[in-house]
Amino acid sequence: MVSLDTPPQAPPPERRPGRPRAVLRGFGEGLITLGLVVLLFVFYEVQVTSWFSARQQADATQRLRDRWREVSPEDRAPEPIPGRGFARLYVPALDSGFPFTVLEGTDQDTLAAGPGHYTGTALPGERGNFALAGHRSGRMAPFGDLDRLGSCDAMVVETATEWYVYRVLPLRGEAADWAPEAAPERCAGAAPIGGPYREVFGRNIVEPQRREVIHPVPGVSRGTVPEQWRSRLITLTTCHPRYSAEKRMIVHGVLTKRYPKVADRPDLRPPELGG
Amino acid sequence: MYAWIWRRLPGPLAVRAVTALLLVVGVIALLLFVVFPAVEPLLPFGDPTLE
Repeated sequence: MVSLDTPPQAPPPERRPGRPRAVLRGFGEGLITLGLVVLLFVFYEVQVTSWFSARQQADATQRLRDRWREVSPEDRAPEPIPGRGFARLYVPALDSGFPFTVLEGTDQDTLAAGPGHYTGTALPGERGNFALAGHRSGRMAPFGDLDRLGSCDAMVVETATEWYVYRVLPLRGEAADWAPEAAPERCAGAAPIGGPYREVFGRNIVEPQRREVIHPVPGVSRGTVPEQWRSRLITLTTCHPRYSAEKRMIVHGVLTKRYPKVADRPDLRPPELGG
Repeated sequence: MYAWIWRRLPGPLAVRAVTALLLVVGVIALLLFVVFPAVEPLLPFGDPTLE
């Protein structure tokens, strides 16, 4: 029953969104879309770049094997060519994708294919500092787990003619009271070096400008220490912390053993790799 | 924006849904393979080398 006192009501107005409302709605959708694009970018950085890199790394490895087939172990190892692979890096303590083919050069295109060798630093086995850079995240992250390396862990470098076994130097806290006779057998040859090397530890975090960590004697100006007094080091550099480029993680190792390759036994591997 | 696109897709519901899916996949592919590789070098992370 409708009371007669009630004035007649107009029908409710047609519900059409006004212009401000449409603009607001478009703005909201834009923000949501932007968020999804950022999420997609994270997925790209971590995963999709690794798919691209895996293919480039496989290509580099194939070309390296083809090249090595033409080199007899009695020859000298061929000179590295920029952008091409020239060595293989094995780190038995890490299970993340090793071994990797190491390429010559540290430009971004080269590093997209695998760890790169700082041009001008020592070659594998030479006196001085065989220095490599590799990604910490994305692009297969060859050096993603460097923080898990401890002192004496092996870093094995294979060239056309030889195997070189480097081992991580004692870490900062261990070096001061390092007792070679008490250390495990695998640490033979990996004691603190001393002299100009007394500030060289197995693992460091440094500012990105600290290029002296890849000098022939890390942290010491070039030419200070004569060549014949230099140790044979390996240095790995990568981003720190993970997903950032704010600092660099540096791992130093020293050559402890070398095994020449045997021409008619290409299957022989050093015992450090379970050969 | 999305409603506007949806209203302009031709055909019955099933065809519209497939077209919309293809559009989404196309945009994702464009981002992953063209846009992101192009903008990535301009962003300040991922360089593991020393300066």
